[in-house]
Amino acid sequence: MVFIDPVIRDAVIFASMLSLLTLGLTLNYLTTKVPNFSHGSFASIGMMTMLTMTAAFNQPAYLSLLPAFLLGGFAALALYLLVLRPLISRDASLVSQMIATIAFELILIAVLNIYADYFTQTFKVQSRGFLIRRFDVRILGEPGVFIIAPALAVSTVFLLYLLLNKTRFGIGLRAAIENPSLAGTLGINVKRAYTFSWFLAGGLGGVAGSLLALWFQGSPNYGSELLISIFAAAIVGGLQNIYGAVAGGYLLGLVEVLGTRQLGLTFGPWITVYRPLIPILAMAITLLLLPQGLVSLRLRGVFKQVQRGGSE
Amino acid sequence: MIDEQLIIFLSNVLAYVAIYLMVNVSLNFEYGFTGIPNFGKVLAVAGGAFVVGAVPGRILASQLNLFAGYRAVQDNPVLAECLSTLVQVKPKLMESIDYIEDNAVVVDCVRRVLVNDPLLSISLLVASVGLAALVGAGLGFIASYPSIRLREDYLAMTLLAMGEFLRQVGYLDRTLVGGTLGVAVPDPYGWLGVFRPYASTLIMLTVAVLFFLYVRAVTYSPAGRVLRAVRDSEMAAEVLGIDVVRVKQKVLVVSSMMAAVAGALWAFNSVAVIANTYDRFTWTFWPWVMVIIGGAGNNRGVLLGTLVFVILRQAILTYNYLLEPFIPFSIVWLDRLLFGIALIIVLIIRPQGIVPEKPTPAISFEKIRKMVQKS
Repeated sequence: MVFIDPVIRDAVIFASMLSLLTLGLTLNYLTTKVPNFSHGSFASIGMMTMLTMTAAFNQPAYLSLLPAFLLGGFAALALYLLVLRPLISRDASLVSQMIATIAFELILIAVLNIYADYFTQTFKVQSRGFLIRRFDVRILGEPGVFIIAPALAVSTVFLLYLLLNKTRFGIGLRAAIENPSLAGTLGINVKRAYTFSWFLAGGLGGVAGSLLALWFQGSPNYGSELLISIFAAAIVGGLQNIYGAVAGGYLLGLVEVLGTRQLGLTFGPWITVYRPLIPILAMAITLLLLPQGLVSLRLRGVFKQVQRGGSE
Repeated sequence: MIDEQLIIFLSNVLAYVAIYLMVNVSLNFEYGFTGIPNFGKVLAVAGGAFVVGAVPGRILASQLNLFAGYRAVQDNPVLAECLSTLVQVKPKLMESIDYIEDNAVVVDCVRRVLVNDPLLSISLLVASVGLAALVGAGLGFIASYPSIRLREDYLAMTLLAMGEFLRQVGYLDRTLVGGTLGVAVPDPYGWLGVFRPYASTLIMLTVAVLFFLYVRAVTYSPAGRVLRAVRDSEMAAEVLGIDVVRVKQKVLVVSSMMAAVAGALWAFNSVAVIANTYDRFTWTFWPWVMVIIGGAGNNRGVLLGTLVFVILRQAILTYNYLLEPFIPFSIVWLDRLLFGIALIIVLIIRPQGIVPEKPTPAISFEKIRKMVQKS
């Protein structure tokens, strides 16, 4: 058996799931042009689903990915259909829409915590600060989530690529994102395309949360606390396409976990508690140096500069 | 018994109305009048509170030579009395006292000194609040850096993260305000004895009213029309020769000062600073709820929104035992659920809030009437 540093596991699982969450946030942003302040709580929904399915009903862990996807998706649908669409049809300002997502976040947090209280009362199982690693399967002697989380992230991106580039529906969705009114005149049902992408984004958030629960200490507020990381990753990714989002999610997730460790090794363990500041700093640096995000990096230009620098 | 509860309820309402009125007025100044969506309101509030948690206790203690330990302050009867028994329990206090480690001891000693010295107490209050205002202005200036460069959506995310930044630092760094445990704060109202809570509330209310009147005066003045011009159309404002960047910077600095003063007064009111209580829900989202429900860009609306929110929320919290039998879950989550739903309904049905913004006349109607009568 290969020895794998536990920090690598933390980093890979966290970064994979952060990239799924960032992907969802960016997808929503591309469709409705509003940053969703309640996106983190979709992950909390997935977390509580995983806890319920495993600790209370003793179902296999990976079976709960489906209900987590559906519940996260329905939460996102509720936000889009019941809150955002009425606002958009009334020409509400961007700020109003952002506040509406905050209001939705308040509701989600209330519901999740009420559920957590109810869950603890009913099943006598801890629902805050819970660890449910024991329900995970083992693949090749490794914890299953260590294999499945990155595999799921990569295959999601691949499937999305196929969907958006090879299917009629996906091309329609891209058209609806690029130019809604023109897509509408061409007979593409823009609203349906947006509804689908919101459902998908929420569902991916739910899946990400439920896999995170298999490794990290979960709580009904976990996702809400993750929100800054998601925003930072999305901004690093550039908020312009989903591939940038995934890259941003991976980059920031890895930097957050591995970078913290490296800083701890270099400067002493006192610095490791400052981990939550990494995404905030990453956000600031990106906005200052590369406001369009990773996607605007012209790799070829960088290579050229490096070569030139080398030859001189 | 009921009366006692009613008094607690009313005094809570007054204190919260005062503190939130300060924060809301400053948020309304930024968002309602100037159009800066400040989702990091907590930044300045926490800044003010952290100043109070970190600075006055340290300065007073070092003035009293308290950090040098019991031996150094034996001659001072008040301090000797305060420390003499503790020293026997914890001999380390003989040689040195640490502000964070022995926070309870330090603040207790300082408090005993302050109780006998009203003048020192008052100057402590004024100086700390002044320092908090300065720090708030600095934070507002930092916050203005993204605000004048970024689009609304990016700005909202950045300011939210900045607000979170300070809380995280306060929570993670023990040396600032005690990290997870927090610190106690010297009490500048202690010399008032039983009237302490009333004095604190009165001061907060006074400051809140001053802020309210200040923003009202500004918004009725030509400067207020400048702010509205910036909010409604930046480009048009620029064409008219308004320096949009400067205006936004000034507004953020002034409103962050107000929010920091609010944070400082709140820290003195609760005689403690715990970093984690300065979270984005309490000091960013709730003010937004109040401003939007009341009516943004409108002073009376903000006052009304604050009153409605605080009274409802305090009623829920105070009389929770009356509601408990009807609600199958813990009452603490009810306010989020309730106000989340209320906010969405208001946004959809009445986006202008309870009291919509009215156009303000360039000169008051009184003056116009007089002018008409004269001619």
